[in-house]
Amino acid sequence: MKLTRRRLSVAGTRPPAVELHDIALAYRLCRNRSGSLQDHVFSLMRRQLSYEDLWALNGVSFSVQPGELVAVIGPNGAGKTTLLKVIARVLPPTRGRVVVRGMIAPMIELGAGFNAELTGLENILLYGSILGHDPAHLRRRAPAIAEYANLTSFLDVPLRSYSSGMLGRLAFAIATEGEPEVLLVDEVLAVGDESFRHRSEERISQIIERGTAVLLVTHALEMASALADRAIWVDSGRIIEQGATDRVIARYRAAAAAGIAAERSGSSSAIPAELVGLPHE
Amino acid sequence: MSSETMIGSAIPAQTRRVPVYDSAQLPSPVVREVGELWRRRGLLRLLVARDVVMRYKRSLLGVWWALLNPMLRMGVMWVVMSALFRPAIPGVPYVVYLLSGIVIITFFEQAVVSAGGSLVNSTAVITKVYVPPLSFAVSAVLAANVTLVASLIPLLIIQVVMGVGIPWTVVLLPIPVTALVMIATGTGLMLASLAVRFYDALDLSAVIIQILSFLTPTFYPIGIIPKSYRFILELNPLTQVVMLFRAYVYQGQLGSWQTVAACLISGAAILTLGVVIFARAWRRSAVML
Repeated sequence: MKLTRRRLSVAGTRPPAVELHDIALAYRLCRNRSGSLQDHVFSLMRRQLSYEDLWALNGVSFSVQPGELVAVIGPNGAGKTTLLKVIARVLPPTRGRVVVRGMIAPMIELGAGFNAELTGLENILLYGSILGHDPAHLRRRAPAIAEYANLTSFLDVPLRSYSSGMLGRLAFAIATEGEPEVLLVDEVLAVGDESFRHRSEERISQIIERGTAVLLVTHALEMASALADRAIWVDSGRIIEQGATDRVIARYRAAAAAGIAAERSGSSSAIPAELVGLPHE
Repeated sequence: MSSETMIGSAIPAQTRRVPVYDSAQLPSPVVREVGELWRRRGLLRLLVARDVVMRYKRSLLGVWWALLNPMLRMGVMWVVMSALFRPAIPGVPYVVYLLSGIVIITFFEQAVVSAGGSLVNSTAVITKVYVPPLSFAVSAVLAANVTLVASLIPLLIIQVVMGVGIPWTVVLLPIPVTALVMIATGTGLMLASLAVRFYDALDLSAVIIQILSFLTPTFYPIGIIPKSYRFILELNPLTQVVMLFRAYVYQGQLGSWQTVAACLISGAAILTLGVVIFARAWRRSAVML
């Protein structure tokens, strides 16, 4: 990733773009495996209904200032995507308070909401509106969006005839449209072929420099250390450590390496519990 | 892009009104969901257009399905039922009686089933982006309205052909149709809240809708039901709607004010109940999708 950024001084007078206070989120798993109404009624009658709450997030607090880029790192299943979804207001927190000031551009699984039967233009309107843009504004902007995605001549073609590269470019162009105050990125920062990849990186840099608060969930630690002002290391729904990007990444790397070593030496558990909270020197 | 243009584009971002989402200061679930639905009405319009296009675009017969579906149903029912019930319905050709009932029931089934499944079918979107969940269910019902209006055309044609004619009271049809849309939306929302949690709720609903449609005098006259049991039919809001619909569409009668009130009040009550149940259930269901 060749993204570069010019760091702006973060204005201290403006309130944080994102605030999380002691956020907890429980996924309720039904122990009696099936989710059918029939089973539910029978279980109720037998008084065997038991739930298990899986705490995907537990006691997470932090804030992001306008113009700040925060990287969220951690192993698979740590709660990183859940965290983004709580901020994107897709998931209501079970406990705690989340405040988001401004429009959110969620780049979480780009193109969810595309309809294969509708044309490119219709999808710009529909997907853009799903992301929270005004349809009238989108109608005016559609030619520019299509041009950016190199799809001007395909605007009247149904999406089912698009290649996956074309879909990615269109989704990216719509998702980064406008001037969001908060950008949530789940891995996808650049899409398409070499030349579009270059342009999409350029656009992300512009969005960041404009003063947008960015939360970047990523496994690409080099990219995180190149871009982020701060890093947050999440595991098992808790913040293990947050602060200076390079320090947090170094500790995370050390923990992951120790985990692999422990696994090789025959330790049974995949991620030893004692490694989750590394001692602070 | 130079830094000047970047700073230039940042200024309107600061002056425009910024929406704030604060999970601790949300209005009550009902106010919130209805408010969000209204705020995002542009999206609702696009969803309705999508649903209409999806229903008819790629099918062989296109919009003609909307006309054909109730006609086919009517044909079958007519063959089976006309010998039984035709003598019991004096004053109007049995075809007209039958079709006017079927138009209502077909709409109700279609609207409730598509609204009930709308959330489950949109999980790919709902779990990634915040979209007012009400908009999916409401758009499904509104899209079914196209079918309802389209199926009025063969009904009116048959009325003319059969010599019944079209009375002036057809201009009052928006009254029973509004009540019907409210009943269907409310029922669809209740079903949608259930379907999010239990995958078999939609199967169950097919049975319940079937029972409801038999409890509505579509193919039989209400008079054949013994007086002591008739209250069951009259408690069914769809019965009131069908009766008012028939009064306006071919009888040319104004209908009693009690029937009009029964239609609108039961419509408003079921819609309100549906929205309340949906808004409350949604918060708990969101994490289960």
